[in-house]
Amino acid sequence: MTLFDRVFSGNDAVYGLTEGAINDAISKYGEDKAVSFPDTAYSLPCYYSVTGTKVTTLKELKDALGVVKSLMTRDHQLNDAFMSGVATALCAEFIEVLKYIDGQVPYELPIYGHLADAVIRELGVPLVTGDIPGVAVILGSAPSVEDAVALVKSYQAQGILVTLVGGVIDQVMEAGMNTGANVRVIPLGKDVTAVIHVVSVALRAALIFGNVKPGDAATLMDYTMKRVPAFVNAFKPLDDVIVACGAGAIALGFPVITNETENIFRVPKSLIVQEDVSKFNATSLEARDIKIKITNVDIPVAFASAFEGEIIRRKDMQVEFDGSRVDCAELVHTVDASEIEDHKITLIGPDLDEMADGSKNSIAYVVKVAGKKMQPDFEPVIERKFHNYINCIEGVYHTGQRDMQRIRVSHAAFNAGFRAKHIGEVLYTQVKNEFDAVVDKCEVVIYTDPAECTRIRHEVAIPIFNKRDDRLANLTDESVEVYYSCILCQAFSPSHVCVVTPERLGLCGAVSWLDAKATNELDPTGPCQVITKERPIDENLGSYEDVDEAVKKFSQGALEHVTLYSIMQDPMTSCGCFECICGIEPFSNGVVIANREYAGMTPLGMTFPEMASMTGGGVQTPGFMGHGKHFIASKKFMKAEGGVERIVWMPKELKETVAERLNKTAKDLYGIDNFTDMIGDETIATDPEELVGFLTEKGHPALGLDPMM
Amino acid sequence: MSEFTLTTVEEFEAATNRLLETGAKVGADSWQMRVKNQTPHCKFGENGVCCRICSMGPCRITPKAPRGICGCDAHGIVGRNFLRFVAGGAATHSDHGREICNTLGHTEAGGTYQVKDPAKLIRIAKEWGVETEGKDIYDLAHEMSEIALSEYGKNHGISRWLSRAPEHTREIWHREGIEPRAIDREVSCAMHMTHMGNSCKPEALIRQSLRNGLSDGWGGSMCGTEFSDVLFGTPKEIQTEANLGVMVEENVNIVVHGHDPSLSEIICDLADSKEMQDYAKTFGAKGITVSGVCCTSNEVAMRRGIPMAGNFLQQENVVLTGACEAIVVDVQCIFPALGPLSKCFHTKFITTSPICQMPDSEFIEFDTGSAAEKAKKIVMLACENFQNRKKELVYIPQMKHKAWVGYSVEEIVHKLDGVTNSQVDTTGSTRPLLECVTSGVLRGAVAMVGCNNPKVRPDTAHIEMMKKLIAKDIIIIASGCSAQAAAKAGLMDKAAKDLCGAGLKRVCELADIPPVLHMGSCVDISRMMILAAELSKDSGLAISQLPVVGCAPEWMSEKAVSIGNYVVATGLDTFLGVVPYCAGSDQVAGLLTDGIRDWVEAAYTVETDIDKLCELMIERIEQKRAALGI
Repeated sequence: MTLFDRVFSGNDAVYGLTEGAINDAISKYGEDKAVSFPDTAYSLPCYYSVTGTKVTTLKELKDALGVVKSLMTRDHQLNDAFMSGVATALCAEFIEVLKYIDGQVPYELPIYGHLADAVIRELGVPLVTGDIPGVAVILGSAPSVEDAVALVKSYQAQGILVTLVGGVIDQVMEAGMNTGANVRVIPLGKDVTAVIHVVSVALRAALIFGNVKPGDAATLMDYTMKRVPAFVNAFKPLDDVIVACGAGAIALGFPVITNETENIFRVPKSLIVQEDVSKFNATSLEARDIKIKITNVDIPVAFASAFEGEIIRRKDMQVEFDGSRVDCAELVHTVDASEIEDHKITLIGPDLDEMADGSKNSIAYVVKVAGKKMQPDFEPVIERKFHNYINCIEGVYHTGQRDMQRIRVSHAAFNAGFRAKHIGEVLYTQVKNEFDAVVDKCEVVIYTDPAECTRIRHEVAIPIFNKRDDRLANLTDESVEVYYSCILCQAFSPSHVCVVTPERLGLCGAVSWLDAKATNELDPTGPCQVITKERPIDENLGSYEDVDEAVKKFSQGALEHVTLYSIMQDPMTSCGCFECICGIEPFSNGVVIANREYAGMTPLGMTFPEMASMTGGGVQTPGFMGHGKHFIASKKFMKAEGGVERIVWMPKELKETVAERLNKTAKDLYGIDNFTDMIGDETIATDPEELVGFLTEKGHPALGLDPMM
Repeated sequence: MSEFTLTTVEEFEAATNRLLETGAKVGADSWQMRVKNQTPHCKFGENGVCCRICSMGPCRITPKAPRGICGCDAHGIVGRNFLRFVAGGAATHSDHGREICNTLGHTEAGGTYQVKDPAKLIRIAKEWGVETEGKDIYDLAHEMSEIALSEYGKNHGISRWLSRAPEHTREIWHREGIEPRAIDREVSCAMHMTHMGNSCKPEALIRQSLRNGLSDGWGGSMCGTEFSDVLFGTPKEIQTEANLGVMVEENVNIVVHGHDPSLSEIICDLADSKEMQDYAKTFGAKGITVSGVCCTSNEVAMRRGIPMAGNFLQQENVVLTGACEAIVVDVQCIFPALGPLSKCFHTKFITTSPICQMPDSEFIEFDTGSAAEKAKKIVMLACENFQNRKKELVYIPQMKHKAWVGYSVEEIVHKLDGVTNSQVDTTGSTRPLLECVTSGVLRGAVAMVGCNNPKVRPDTAHIEMMKKLIAKDIIIIASGCSAQAAAKAGLMDKAAKDLCGAGLKRVCELADIPPVLHMGSCVDISRMMILAAELSKDSGLAISQLPVVGCAPEWMSEKAVSIGNYVVATGLDTFLGVVPYCAGSDQVAGLLTDGIRDWVEAAYTVETDIDKLCELMIERIEQKRAALGI
């Protein structure tokens, strides 16, 4: 049988199953029964992406199957095989959505099934920064449990996001492997159809970040091929159904690597037979042109971004350092080159093996740096990375910052020989790796002696932090000479440009003005470029000829005008990985803000994913704007429309997070005390009329403002 | 996404018509007019039944006069004429190859001619069993030159190049008695066999036609290609442009035309020099633009990215722009019409080879010893001529397309290496291409070659067939004027992937190639033979089993028939869009289109309806796939 005949046969089989399943569901629930996946604004995501048509009921699902059938042409060109592969994937999506019918919960952790839009938006930044260099889809059962674990771990160690379908899930479970999104190993489901849940992620990424128009299948496939670094590892035996799914994957640009040798054809860079499973990793990376940044840190445990989300529970903990209870600090300090010795790591105080098992201790580490191009403004930029560096150590967990950090070291890491100096080693290596353009020499001093920690915290660190805070407080849009562009996301969202100002950080929340400045210094031709602000058009709107020119240039002409302070007139665009989105609420003349973590309904009648789907991909949608959490309390937040007093609703949790800073801003701007008490949340109202009632009762200032539209 | 569009034949024609208006103004003649004067063509000639071999005739065969005076019937006459046609083509290519071998003997370190690809010279020397260890590369070049030249007249043995063919092919050639011996001998033998009173048996004549063709493709042409690479560098991917718009109005335009790169290479070197650029400026030009026509153009485009002004039937257009200071020709496919035409403009028509001497031209005889001096003289003449331009006659159609060229077999393999996976594959083979074919991603390949011929609307057959084939996931390798038609249309732009089926499109994207690969001049069809041989060896299949065919839809020259014969004799079915002069004999036509399949596993298909011709090719490719079960 030819390769294409195998694809056709697999496609026919899945189509038959799907048709049967839909008919059964209709006879059980009736045609009008609703079908949808949870937590997505794009349901059914794959079918919607490919055809531009949303499916909401069984009847529509049945009609959709007719469309799928029209893709199943049976000539003998690759297009026929590709479209049959896509048809197979769509059938899989239909079968999977039926599992969710009538409020059923088909998957329970550790198995995920469908993945929410929020997951995709969170993946945006790490994917563009290369922090997640690729996405592996592992299908079937490895030759042995050991092979399965070794393969998954090999990807994990490279930071690659691993999704699992089929027998491999049982294999990693049997081995007791820790799985979950936080360690970048996501079991999707045991049926082969569950593979659609990762395809769904790739296609939604194209809609969210790429502004691909649903139904524009050619652009969609071009986007996934060029911008989504996914690949498939399929273990033998490969039946026709898997071959058909593989055709769908290859159509999207994802190579398939298999150990099957029977009745299989080889296609360069697309369908690769690798009999040695231990070489799947290397073969796959080469096939998808994924380059791994190699970080060799001389420590006794692994160091990889996949461990960033790892959590150390109390029972697994050897020692803990906790800045909220005892004196701790972490600090980058610029010194003269003559004062330090490169790569010198000093420990002052007891080492981990001198601390009691389960004990709470003090720690302070001072990273002294020197370099001709080093500026004190870069100190906090480097320091903010410590969280990420220390978290990437296998068996070590870090939260917080400055003098409030908390670190746990697991029994496993301790037993593997992990000691205090290794923290220094990690900090040294990473600072030198990532900041080599400004840091010429670097020395680390680690204090565990409690008295020394107290001294460092109060006499060294806090005065520096205060000085920095003063500098930051004075750092306003008006006080600086230049802004910065950030196009880090263009790998995914080719026409989006962020304009980063002191009072408006990047919408992803990850790039502040200082970060952008440092990035520009580190890589002058890189993603952050200087934007002058010499030719203002309207300072209230925050429009500048310089900004427009920069935006036009960096968006390759896709955008002509952007204002910094308005959500109504030429609002700044989003890539799709924004932390929050605000949208106009017409009844109250205000805006509603929802954050990515919030899963419920808003008074706009839309959830976060639905609001988010209104923008992103570098498109301007007046009335909607993506932004970072930090921006909410900025004096520049929709300043052109009146500022923060327009905020009428936020999820409770978000409100609490920003309350202190937001209240201060409201006090400064309008003289209002405890402004956040006037803002609604989901415990007060998710209905616009009820919300207006609440706002009226509280005397919310937005009600008295001019309508925005 | 910006839409990629080709330039259409209609647009080509509109530009040509505009140029013909200029021609009319100055009273110039044109091929378009001469075609009218020559139509209808002589039926006896067309059918191949006119015999002028002795002075008892001419004899021509009709139902009433079925035999010539000597008693030879239509089959003998058609067969003899066919063989002589082949001999003419084989002699032409092979003599071109001889010139290259000769030039190789004149290389010296730091000299006008040097060995630019020593690795290739050493590789060929090793193939031929010549000791290379510790030998100065120029000593080796001179030794190889002697051996190669002796290939033309050696007394014993068969062509050295045959050893490159797969074993199965060599067995066929041996079995059928068509292994070419000395290159010149096969031409002589053909002439001898067709002399009055010799062979008139179609089988014998056609067998010698195949053998003579092979002496070209696996002899003289291969010498030409391989040693041109040694001398001037093996082509690598390079970007250039094609169509008349490559001529630059403000510059001195020198157009090189013909086939032999020995002269044009040196002209290109000189034109680039500061001395000559400055010289051009003294006459009011901004600089010098060298562009090309026909296969000389292909040679310098493949190796240096020199732009292609046009193909065979565009040679007069170059002069009609009124902006051509000199058209410098070497050998083959030069219209004698260029002489009188150039007199209507300021253009210098410069002939350079004793092989190609024409009235109304300035003859500057070129030889390896005085190459640099003569080239300089020519470039200076062109510069000086800039001031003689008649400004009112200048019109350059602003029409050109980007083209990626330079796909020698070595470069194709290099490109294929780029899609291998070092964890499972080895590099340096055609296997990735074979994998694409066996899996069905590519349905097959067509070698599109040959000329233009006014019997076919110029370039239409080349372009329309290529468009259809690439949409069917069939990759094209092209050479000669066919390649230039593709380049002019835009089919050698990498963006042309958007016109392909999903399979070929994916291959173009992954391997970073255009869907139509320029393999060089007509002599370079020998590259295609080497590629077929490599595919056969790497797959373990006979060449005739591969889903690969050849096609010359607009052919016109004797060389084309010689090429057709070696392509068929190598095992590749060949499709013609212009009928050879064979219709007068069902026996000869039957042999060519069917009978020889029993000898060499391939034959000709002739069809003047271009759509049908294309369908027949696709059908043949699918038949070959079905036979292999892929």
